[in-house]
Amino acid sequence: MDRIATRLSTCFETVFPDLAAKDIPAATQRSVAAWDSTAAIMLVNVIEDEFGIQMDFDRLEELDSFESICQYLKEQQTAGAASDGSSA
Amino acid sequence: MTVTEALKILRAARKLEGEPYPVELVCGFTPLHLETFLGAHLQQRMSGRRISLSTGLFGNAAGNLESLQGKDLCAVALALEWQDLDPRMGFRSAGQWGPALLPDILKMVRSTLGRMAAAIEQLASGVTVACSLPTLPLPPLFYHPGWQMAEVELALERALVEWASECAARRGFALVSRQRLAEESPALGRYDFKSELLSGLPYTLPHADCVAESLARLLAPPAPKKGLITDLDDTLWHGLVGEVGPENVTWDLASHQHLHGLYQKLLAALSEEGVLVAIASKNDAAVARQALGRPDMLVAPERIFPVEIHWNAKSGSVGRILKTWNIGADSVVFVDDSPMELAEVAAAHPRIECLSFPTNDAAAGYALLRRLRDLFGKPRVAEEDAIRLESIRQGAGFQNAAPDGSSAEEFLRQTEAIITLDCDSKSGDPRTVELVNKTNQFNLNGRRHTEAEWRRRLRRPGAVLMAVGYRDKFGPLGKIAVVEGRQQDDTLYIETWVMSCRAFARRIEHQCLKALFDRSGAGKMVFDFASTPKNGPLRDFLASVTGTPPEGPVELTRGQFEDVCPALYHRIEETQSRNESWIESQPA
Repeated sequence: MDRIATRLSTCFETVFPDLAAKDIPAATQRSVAAWDSTAAIMLVNVIEDEFGIQMDFDRLEELDSFESICQYLKEQQTAGAASDGSSA
Repeated sequence: MTVTEALKILRAARKLEGEPYPVELVCGFTPLHLETFLGAHLQQRMSGRRISLSTGLFGNAAGNLESLQGKDLCAVALALEWQDLDPRMGFRSAGQWGPALLPDILKMVRSTLGRMAAAIEQLASGVTVACSLPTLPLPPLFYHPGWQMAEVELALERALVEWASECAARRGFALVSRQRLAEESPALGRYDFKSELLSGLPYTLPHADCVAESLARLLAPPAPKKGLITDLDDTLWHGLVGEVGPENVTWDLASHQHLHGLYQKLLAALSEEGVLVAIASKNDAAVARQALGRPDMLVAPERIFPVEIHWNAKSGSVGRILKTWNIGADSVVFVDDSPMELAEVAAAHPRIECLSFPTNDAAAGYALLRRLRDLFGKPRVAEEDAIRLESIRQGAGFQNAAPDGSSAEEFLRQTEAIITLDCDSKSGDPRTVELVNKTNQFNLNGRRHTEAEWRRRLRRPGAVLMAVGYRDKFGPLGKIAVVEGRQQDDTLYIETWVMSCRAFARRIEHQCLKALFDRSGAGKMVFDFASTPKNGPLRDFLASVTGTPPEGPVELTRGQFEDVCPALYHRIEETQSRNESWIESQPA
């Protein structure tokens, strides 16, 4: 698991305390019963705290799995690095 | 606090065992963040006890409040917004705006506030209510430009403030200060328009955190400090009295030293509220006392006791003052302009709160006055507050007058002591639970209770309560002891017993037990004793009557007590007829 995925895992542990650590990488909105619309908002808030970013609430619907959020964060990191003019 | 921190606090609290503390959050919007932050802030303030927070239906604050009648709760947090009083004042409603509708909106607001007032009245007695009045701006529904206050807007504010004033008269109802909230959460940072439209969450995260903390502070306030020890030179007044003379120290506007005058005024006010004020100063006592006796002093010298003025270490002065007051260092604030003196006192008394008096910094001076108000703030001034200083002064007189040995017996006989027993468990006098919650040394087990829990205990079948007052020729001590428990057959189970440390050495504890045996007719008592870091005096007393230092619950028979009970010289006055049952017989 890379560094972003590891940090994202801790966010999932915070919002879904009953979710086993081994199940986090495969977690989706359909597989986690507690992942409802309010939990999705909390997850975004916690990710914003952890990564120090502002997430786009309009993209909330497509961020419906651990994997898709991880991918989104990597895109943000790349975009941030590009806008800073630094190499990835 | 961040959302992540709040969730971690709540997660850790899931492991706490025991009876949870039930709180209802009433609001008309999606409570998500406010609920999370409120739970976390309450949990921080009530460590060791799990907060159980529940919420009602979206968009129905008044209905949610009405649904609480009969619900088993300790506290209610009410976060009002304008839309809760009429949905047309919210942004998610499709209701029309327009000048013709304004009178109807005002009518609806008054009607909803009336429903809410009635619902609050219906809450079980003892349930604490904390309320924040609308924190978000009104929508642009008036025909005036936004920079002008519309007449209807004034009428809405008036209806709200009148409602809040009526509610505030209810015991246990407290309002968030809108002024303090505006400082901590500035208006422009409060509202998240997009979030409200998308998810019904109108508060920004920092504002949700701030409102939650404000409500939690009211529901679980910090214990107010009880005593303030102040320095003199460059603190109570400007100047070194030993150098400039008693007539030349200043505290007025003309000399640009009014901060010292304001400090004196605050001390005078605190003293009237029952706060103990003492002096610890390194000075020539005769000279300093001349300055204290000046007629233009804004705090009367007789409001200050004890006064320690000499050249020895201030930590010693503070130690003697604490002993005279008989309160813990953690209940006391020490104010001095000298960093060295503050450090010396802090080193000797680490639990005392040491505050620097800023001599040349007006902003810091203003902050100090506000800080002192917060540290000593309390919901109301009680009868006992007015006589606290006098009773401590009298207590010191009692201790000084009390001789040792055989003459002590004669001394106790001559104190003309009168003990008042109030055994009405249904009276609901809230001062009984207040005394339980603030007493540490003579305390059976250190357990604290909310007012709602206390009332529930007193409604149990077999419940007994005895509140004890005391006065003697040295003066009144007010209500000084509370015993609570339940009687089952021949046994009296004592589950709460506290007595103010001001009342030690008068055999009041013996008289309490005698009165309990006499009134109940029980053959034995079982004390639910549990050791705490501070309740040594009660442990020692139980050891003296049972013959063994207790380690847990302990039993005392009538015969055992009668064998060791010394002569008691108090005259007893009872507020209830002996023929009336003092035991609660009906189940709650």
